[in-house]
Amino acid sequence: MNFNMFDEIDYFTNVNTENDMNMDTNINKNSNLFNTYEGYVKGNLFKNLYKSYKNLKPVKIPVNSERDELLLNIGQLSFAKHELNLLLDNYPNNTNALNLFNKYQKMETEQVKNYERRFGPLTVSSNMENIPFAWVNDIWPWEN
Amino acid sequence: MWKYEKRLQYPVNIKTKDLRLAKLLVTQYGGSNGELAAAFRYLNQRYTMPDNRGKALLTDIGTEELAHVEIISTMIYQLMKDASLEEIREAGLDSHYAEHKKALYPTDANGVPFTVMYFATTGDPKADLMEDMAAEQKARAVYENLIDLTNDPDVLGPLLWLRQREIVHFQRFKELYEMYKSEGL
Repeated sequence: MNFNMFDEIDYFTNVNTENDMNMDTNINKNSNLFNTYEGYVKGNLFKNLYKSYKNLKPVKIPVNSERDELLLNIGQLSFAKHELNLLLDNYPNNTNALNLFNKYQKMETEQVKNYERRFGPLTVSSNMENIPFAWVNDIWPWEN
Repeated sequence: MWKYEKRLQYPVNIKTKDLRLAKLLVTQYGGSNGELAAAFRYLNQRYTMPDNRGKALLTDIGTEELAHVEIISTMIYQLMKDASLEEIREAGLDSHYAEHKKALYPTDANGVPFTVMYFATTGDPKADLMEDMAAEQKARAVYENLIDLTNDPDVLGPLLWLRQREIVHFQRFKELYEMYKSEGL
């Protein structure tokens, strides 16, 4: 792609930044962004920046349980949000990026609620009413 | 202020122990181009960035690098945790065992301990951003070297993913560098 490095790229043509809350269909295939799942698996939300190494394909993230599935939902929304966050740091007036950020934020909040209801708190500030203190009880992220 | 989330930024679930690989991967924890050096390089440089874009970008990328420290640490931990003493000796990790048992310890692949020299901060925003761009390129190159040295998909997944992050970070640093340059900052 030919563009001036410091000109802001329009990543948001063909991206529906409002209304559609369906995880994977809010990005048109002609857009410059990957959908949240594809972006997460690749580690890169921006099609023009994605470059594979020796044509190696990204490894599919295994989903073997409901917990894996909820973590994948949270992971992809949080990741897409973070990618937009870094873009907005450089271009704070990008309305499309901000709208998409806010849309993913809402979706992520829902997914976090679903996760925490079933598998306990993701942060120390939520769902802390019961004894024993739930924060210490669940699996820590480095244990497989 | 920082807030911990009890999940990895990208999942790690390594089923096959591999001590040779653990010994090499550690460089992306404690080596000169590793994630620990990156995290604190950016978080240390952010105070003297000339405007809010720079303060935000270095804070947010520095914070993401902390999540990458956790991913790499998890990989090393999982590659080592079921190893026998015999296997540790065979892989040449007995010297690590003598000092640290199976605990993590930030070194490069040759066992050279982590040093704050890796922070590389001048206080000149353009020099620091240029340093950060180089750091992202070097980390990408090291990830490619490590990718060459494994074919375990459980290890390749996170390595390919972390490599892409270096590419995106390089782009963001470059954009900021070019903006500062054109604006005379």
